[in-house]
Amino acid sequence: MTPGSTSAACAALLRRDLTLAWRRRGDIAMPVLYALIVATLFPFALGPEPTLLARIAGGVVFVTVLLAVLLSLDNLFRADIEDGSMEQLMLAPQPLALLVGMKILAHWITSSLPLIVVAPLLAGMLKLPAPATPVLVFALVLATPLLSLLGAVLVALTAGSRRSGMLLALMLLPLCVPVVIFAAGAVAAAQEGLPWIAPIAWLGAGLAMAVVLAPLACAAALRIAMDT
Amino acid sequence: MDNSRHDRNNRVMTSAPHPAPLLEARALRFLRQDEPVFGPLDFALRAGEVALVEGDNGSGKTTLMRVLTGMLRPGEGEVRLDGAAFSLDTMAGAVVFLGHHLGLKLDLSARENLRVSVGLYGQRQGTSANAALAEVGLAGFEDEPVRRLSAGQKKRAALARLLLLPARVWLLDEPYANLDREGIALVNRLLEGHAGRGGAALVTSHGAVSFAGGEPRRIRLHA
Repeated sequence: MTPGSTSAACAALLRRDLTLAWRRRGDIAMPVLYALIVATLFPFALGPEPTLLARIAGGVVFVTVLLAVLLSLDNLFRADIEDGSMEQLMLAPQPLALLVGMKILAHWITSSLPLIVVAPLLAGMLKLPAPATPVLVFALVLATPLLSLLGAVLVALTAGSRRSGMLLALMLLPLCVPVVIFAAGAVAAAQEGLPWIAPIAWLGAGLAMAVVLAPLACAAALRIAMDT
Repeated sequence: MDNSRHDRNNRVMTSAPHPAPLLEARALRFLRQDEPVFGPLDFALRAGEVALVEGDNGSGKTTLMRVLTGMLRPGEGEVRLDGAAFSLDTMAGAVVFLGHHLGLKLDLSARENLRVSVGLYGQRQGTSANAALAEVGLAGFEDEPVRRLSAGQKKRAALARLLLLPARVWLLDEPYANLDREGIALVNRLLEGHAGRGGAALVTSHGAVSFAGGEPRRIRLHA
């Protein structure tokens, strides 16, 4: 890879963000612990009846993961804007959308991947039937990058404003409704022994569209945010 | 446009005719909510030239820099780079910008920060990160997290980027801030080296700056 080529730039940025995340490993554990604790609260609040828990398990895991992703999204671009790294990214010869896409990928690897890894554990705690667990993981693999991409656009849009955490939640959560419906729908179908591929395919279609469009929207929004 | 005002605002020395200037501003003006921030401003920087943008606090030096990088859209006028109209989409990477925010990651070492910049912008032939860090006086601090460096050392770590990247136009916003006497000499040395290689640089400063290698051009902004 020659320095300055597009692939070298993507690799350099991905490596930078992963190194930074690794240097602050405690931050990676935070969303995971949050998801674990929230999921534990449900049996306490609703009672430990296995049939009830099994019925709500899929939905609880998705909502928990969604909230944990939301929690970690806020800082996606802020650090880069505050220390001037975003200016350096904008002036680099590569398309900003591509670089932003790399940042989203790094964010997904460091915040969503650990959640996907512990999801079977959460599902087990909530007595989700074992045959539905692979479907749950599959749905999460498609749903979490979709959440990261949608969230990144909104983070970029609110990048100019201080204390945008609550605003971000208010804007992002309505957009997540279809994602939750399709993902939880797939798990519910699998639990009842019905075909579950259709909602998964919808998630895949949404993800394909978001992969193409979200980085472009992010780049445009960041340009506006820096234009002050 | 009012010509007398124009003359008062910009005191730019004219130099001998040359091929297309590396960086050129034509009747450049920037308005913030219809209030003029600076301009109209005309200047041309040719290969081997360093110009100093002077002005008091609030006279729009940083704004001018951000307009020249393409991050801010000018209200009127145009910026030309190497004879072609400048836009972020086509010409990005041709200029390197060093602003108030240094663009360093505090959790990474100076060497790792340089590696990221080189990955994004490319590397000038015959340069190495170690040599660049030694040149800016950070030998022995290469692998220290930037967080542990002093403000002046952080600035030096950011200056090392200038030595490595291939861009021919440097836009340096207050490069002298936080630097000791030796650091100021270092910036001047870097600028002289850059001019010697056929680059051009625009430097802002609100203080008096003296160059060892002859008087730089001055572009004056009025508040």
